[in-house]
Amino acid sequence: MNVEVLAEILRSFSGDHKVLVTQSVVLSVDHLLKDAEDLYQRSSVTSSSRIALSGLPLCDFITSLVAFDGKVEAMLFLPASLDKAATFRLIVSAGCTHYMDSEKIVEVSKGQEECSSSDAGATQWLLATSGTTGRPKLIGHTLSSLSRTVKRDPDKGSGFIWGLLYDPGRFAGIQVVLQALLSGSLLHVSESVDFESQIEGLVQNRVNALSATPSLWRKLLMDGRITGCSLRQITLGGEIADQQILDGLKRHFSGARIVHIYASTEAGSAFSVHDGRAGFPAIWIKNECAPVPMSIRDDGHLLVKPSILPDGLEIEQRLDSDGYLDTEDIVRVEGDRVKFLGRASGAINVGGNKVTPEYIENHIREVDGVLDVRVFGKKSSMIGQIVAAEIVPHPGREVKQLRLEILRYCQLKMENWQAPGIISFTDELKENSAGKRERSTL
Amino acid sequence: MKEKIINIITEIASDSGWEIVANLNDDTVLLESGLDSLGFAILVARLEEELLLDPFTMMDEPVYPRTLGEFVKIYENCSS
Repeated sequence: MNVEVLAEILRSFSGDHKVLVTQSVVLSVDHLLKDAEDLYQRSSVTSSSRIALSGLPLCDFITSLVAFDGKVEAMLFLPASLDKAATFRLIVSAGCTHYMDSEKIVEVSKGQEECSSSDAGATQWLLATSGTTGRPKLIGHTLSSLSRTVKRDPDKGSGFIWGLLYDPGRFAGIQVVLQALLSGSLLHVSESVDFESQIEGLVQNRVNALSATPSLWRKLLMDGRITGCSLRQITLGGEIADQQILDGLKRHFSGARIVHIYASTEAGSAFSVHDGRAGFPAIWIKNECAPVPMSIRDDGHLLVKPSILPDGLEIEQRLDSDGYLDTEDIVRVEGDRVKFLGRASGAINVGGNKVTPEYIENHIREVDGVLDVRVFGKKSSMIGQIVAAEIVPHPGREVKQLRLEILRYCQLKMENWQAPGIISFTDELKENSAGKRERSTL
Repeated sequence: MKEKIINIITEIASDSGWEIVANLNDDTVLLESGLDSLGFAILVARLEEELLLDPFTMMDEPVYPRTLGEFVKIYENCSS
């Protein structure tokens, strides 16, 4: 099978074609290929190596993609936000032989004997699911599965300057990087993760294509300076896109093509919606005209069947006998649209950050005076969902003081988006007929 | 309405340990007030609990307010 390699795709562009611009660096195809070759030479990797790439600045990140795709067995992407324990667990479970961060590249364990053929198969691109409870799972993509829906039209692509607001080590960030690289667009990235610097960079560099979560788009519109960019391509992903944000963007960027994509680390980019309406056309269900075969199970789970799926047990466990992948998203048909209602697991999506209710509940139960707790997602018109907690206090406990103690405890133990924004008190928690805690979104 | 909103902002900041700018007024830029977008989402959720409405789900023409004055006006228009 002919396996596509990133460096080969880049060689199809002219050497002086600009790929990446930051405040201090402008990188052309020739530069990138040379830097990638230098990195490969000094890395001591072989075709059986498995390399972890941890929190790299974008310039180094792209260089390493070009250096190692097609040359190593696997690349593991470790987002900058992962803590040390999660990083270590992923490196071990991915069987990494090498580790690279912004300062060094080192061999961490001996791999197997080098394969005699260096093109035994495509390099695996191992991505961590965005679990935030210390148990992210690895999903094994390839360049081919990640770029399946990437538009490759250099004539059109050369007119775009993409901005990057996502962590490049996560699925959504890699999608933007590949979209820009493979379609011959210029990618602008701020060297700072600070919101102010990012916005200034987008405007100064005349970015005209941008991908962000609906929550971040709302923040960009509230700030207002983004209207200084003549956006022609607007992409929303990572959360449910509601009609308000789609209309808001249309109003500010009337000439832009607005797309909300349905993608996940597990399923890859499954499909995108271009008609400016929330949800997707109900006619796509069990219909050959759909961008990807899909159906809705009796319990409301959306099932999809992309042509290329990542490998691994995590994916296999979620396939039914017809090869459909359970997205674990709950949907409902409303008239001519299918609307997303949330995650089957009850996982809460706070502005693109996933929160597992049980994880927060376990922490809150540690607070003296808490008898029981139920954590659930409360719908937010601003950031998708916020974390809400319903508390059963010990009898006689003064709830105003208890509320403050819970909040203080959460501040110490968790990220601010994991802490409950709404806390209420009750005498008893409801359970459903199966004896499970009710977690439906209010 | 403005007083109610400022009281909730102060309460959220105190709950979460966030520092809010002194002298919140109509011209205060929301994203520079000390509340980030999460804080702002919590503010909208708390107001929904008190007023039983979220104007941002009710607008025909979606508006994302930049200043506190614009934010208060949206709530005043919606509750009148």
